[in-house]
Amino acid sequence: MRTYQGDFFIDLPRPTVWAFVTDPHQMGSCIPDLLQLDVESETRFRALVRVGVGPVRGKFNLQTELTVTEPEKSGELSIRGGGMGSRVDMKTKLTLSDTENGGTKLDWRCDAVISGPIASIGGRLIDNEAKKITEKMFANLRESLSSVSKQAAAASADTEEPGSTD
Amino acid sequence: MAKSQTELRPLGKSVGRKEDPRFIRGMGRYIDDIVLPGMLYMSLVRSPYAHARIKHVDPSAALEAPGVKLVITGEDLAAMDLAWMPTMAGDKQMVLATGKVLYQYQEVAAVIAESREQAEDAAQLVDVEYEPLPAVVDPIQSLDPDAPVLREDREKKSNHIFHWEAGDKEATEELFRNAPVVVKQNVRFPRVHPSPLEPCGCVADYQSSTGKLTWYVTSQAPHAHRTVLSMVSGLPEHQIRVISPDVGGGFGNKVPVYPGYVCAIVASLKLGRPVKWIESRTENISSTGFARDYHMTAEIAAEEDGRVLALRVKTIADHGAFDAAADPSKFPAGLFSIVTGSYDFKESFVEVDGAYTNKAPGGIAYRCSFRVTEAAYLIERVMDVLARRVGVDPAELRKRDFIRKEQFPYQSPTGWTYDSGDYEKTLDLALEKIGYEELRKEQAEKRARGELMGIGISTFTEVVGAGPSHTFDIMGIKMFDSAQIRLHPTGKVLARLGVRHQGQGHETTFAQIIAEELGLSTEDVLIEEGDTDTAPYGLGTYASRSTPTAGGAAALCGRRIRDKAKKIASHLLEAGEDDVVWDGVSFSAKGLPDKSVTMKDIAFAAYTNVPEGMEPGLEATYYYDPPNLTFPHGAYIAVVDIDKGTGAVKVRRFLAVDDCGNVINPMIVDGQVHGGLTEGFAIAFMQDIPFDEDGNCLAPNWMDYLVPTALDTPHWETDRTVTPSPHHPIGAKGVGESPNVGSPAAFVNAVVDALAPLGVEHIDMPIFPWKVWEVLREHGVNK
Repeated sequence: MRTYQGDFFIDLPRPTVWAFVTDPHQMGSCIPDLLQLDVESETRFRALVRVGVGPVRGKFNLQTELTVTEPEKSGELSIRGGGMGSRVDMKTKLTLSDTENGGTKLDWRCDAVISGPIASIGGRLIDNEAKKITEKMFANLRESLSSVSKQAAAASADTEEPGSTD
Repeated sequence: MAKSQTELRPLGKSVGRKEDPRFIRGMGRYIDDIVLPGMLYMSLVRSPYAHARIKHVDPSAALEAPGVKLVITGEDLAAMDLAWMPTMAGDKQMVLATGKVLYQYQEVAAVIAESREQAEDAAQLVDVEYEPLPAVVDPIQSLDPDAPVLREDREKKSNHIFHWEAGDKEATEELFRNAPVVVKQNVRFPRVHPSPLEPCGCVADYQSSTGKLTWYVTSQAPHAHRTVLSMVSGLPEHQIRVISPDVGGGFGNKVPVYPGYVCAIVASLKLGRPVKWIESRTENISSTGFARDYHMTAEIAAEEDGRVLALRVKTIADHGAFDAAADPSKFPAGLFSIVTGSYDFKESFVEVDGAYTNKAPGGIAYRCSFRVTEAAYLIERVMDVLARRVGVDPAELRKRDFIRKEQFPYQSPTGWTYDSGDYEKTLDLALEKIGYEELRKEQAEKRARGELMGIGISTFTEVVGAGPSHTFDIMGIKMFDSAQIRLHPTGKVLARLGVRHQGQGHETTFAQIIAEELGLSTEDVLIEEGDTDTAPYGLGTYASRSTPTAGGAAALCGRRIRDKAKKIASHLLEAGEDDVVWDGVSFSAKGLPDKSVTMKDIAFAAYTNVPEGMEPGLEATYYYDPPNLTFPHGAYIAVVDIDKGTGAVKVRRFLAVDDCGNVINPMIVDGQVHGGLTEGFAIAFMQDIPFDEDGNCLAPNWMDYLVPTALDTPHWETDRTVTPSPHHPIGAKGVGESPNVGSPAAFVNAVVDALAPLGVEHIDMPIFPWKVWEVLREHGVNK
């Protein structure tokens, strides 16, 4: 098993962040190299993604399910699937907490079991590749959230000072 | 230079290899060169997990893919009672997994299609649902009572396969209790793989019209494979023809029967069409017969002056998920008890415990006579540890402890009878030839300047050539071997043997033996091996056994021919049989050397003019059951320089002095030694198959599992001494594996010798530069 973890800060209140990360449409779109997204329910989605680790290249079919541990605070995203004779089995814990300035801190920890040629042939490269993928994932997440943040800011500006925007 | 092949009395001469013209022109006929009309291709679905339960296998999408003719699952085989097959070590092994998988890349389903591409594409579509289980990759953890039981099919609910011991425990303990000096060293022989250039593969061709199965397979032991196949499948043995065409390297990798073989045969039986299966490189390294993986601890009890008293060895052997090591049936740890080596230990006690892990099965391959490589490496490494402890030069220590020339035949404390040897002579020649004294002086000067130079010695003894049949069998089949010689009327010879060469040069060396016995040239003798419908029964080529067994059979079969030839000669010479003499080339009547008849004359007469009452023709078959094994030995010396900045080890010189008894073809022996040293070098410095904690195999390709190229390979120096085997018909002993067996210790001893001033006592293989670099940093160099 490999463990990857990190945290980052978002300039939005916790309930907004929570609503985003638990929305399969929103969260699913953040997956890097996404080819196709099928939202099956409020907590489940399927994603077809392009994967390349060293000489192993192809498509992975991933089944994702969200479990809420504590509403608006923590949840677990289980991602299972694979392709080309390889498998991934990831459990990602997301924990949200309030920051002093009214923003949100997102802590994440991903325990991944990676099997098959992607782990054995790509073994030397996989940690860097996984780092790249998770970094990209959260970069996408931050970007999407910041656009949510801008929209929210714009929306609140609209309500507070109608007609005042340039 | 190779000598002309028309020369008479060719034994002992460097005759050019008869097989090379086709090999070096790319005209060999290997397994993938076999193309039959209507042939289909098979690809295997393999497990991504090292340990998992199989929830279901759904082949429906694959069956709908273009060109797909058949998908075979474990359940399909179970219905035919073929889901499991026996291994050569007396265990059983899954052909296609049912219930659960036990190692990564284990075979789960087989897809057969019109083309290889279609089969491989469709294999991706077989839907297998797994429930992953915790993997056990370390054999020591696997023997822990709390470890999950991997083999739920066995009655014994533990991962312990066998306990095996040799020698006298009490007598050994007694010597240890009173010994002035005791040294102890843990030594790991890593998991390595023979990785032959040509991977495994086969073409199964079942003809429903005749009921005959022709099975082309890249096999080192075609007859044994035929018998096993008949026993497993129930097909009558005379309806199975195994043809092993040119083999592109074996090194023990092509002795076991693999699941892919069984699947290809089942597919051909079901579809009535030829089915080809050729492994990929990754499949070969990740799933077929690996080598070693021994975790050893050795202790030597000795006198203050380094004279050895007793040896105690404990070993944990990692056999992977199934015990598929092709050991002789009474030897679950092979011939590992040869571990007392070239030294006159009074007593010894050796224990080996086999363990199952979630890794591929195998264990005895890679140019090794059943675990002699592990044994030779261990004793040669630990003798150096002792030398350092008692402060005696490693060459001198070895000389003090050698079994003396006059002690042969020598009874070893673990039960072997060594046939012959002269260890001191061989080491003396090596020391003189390498300039040992001068090298030690140079080393002392370099050490004074802080430079790292090392000299490593290995004076190993091998045990090769199994039989004899009273002790050695595989699945009950006795380990003799055979030769059949047929003289045509024009004096040309067709000879067939029960072994199967893979680069050893049998087409030349066996022709030399037979030509020598018959007074012909090698050009007159054609050697054929590998077709079970034509060759006499034999157990195959591995464990350096071809010359000790089939080579003996060839010589004795030639003598059997000569006995009849003498009768015909007496008829042609009109002399009494007792008055007919053989001078090595022709028969003549005693005192009348001018009138002689050659074997060519006799062959013609055998079909045209036999004495009255004699059966016509001139052919014979000989099954040779050797009275003992043979015990080749050698003295190898490596000289290395270590770069303190990078940790890179440069092998400056390497000298191999081998003693393999009488030599059939010096050029071929040198070639064998060069190849084996290159493999030994790779094992010492480059090769290992590691696994991560989930059981992912981390070196299933030539990017991570390294095979040396000409650029990596040092220059080899060779020489030899000759101590004939007293019992072998031509005094030969076998040499193919000596360099792989003997060299790793010389390399490692040289590296440890270079690092000794820092206090280093041992370093495990493979000695990658980064490992040496770390050791240097740990000891304050280059911080």
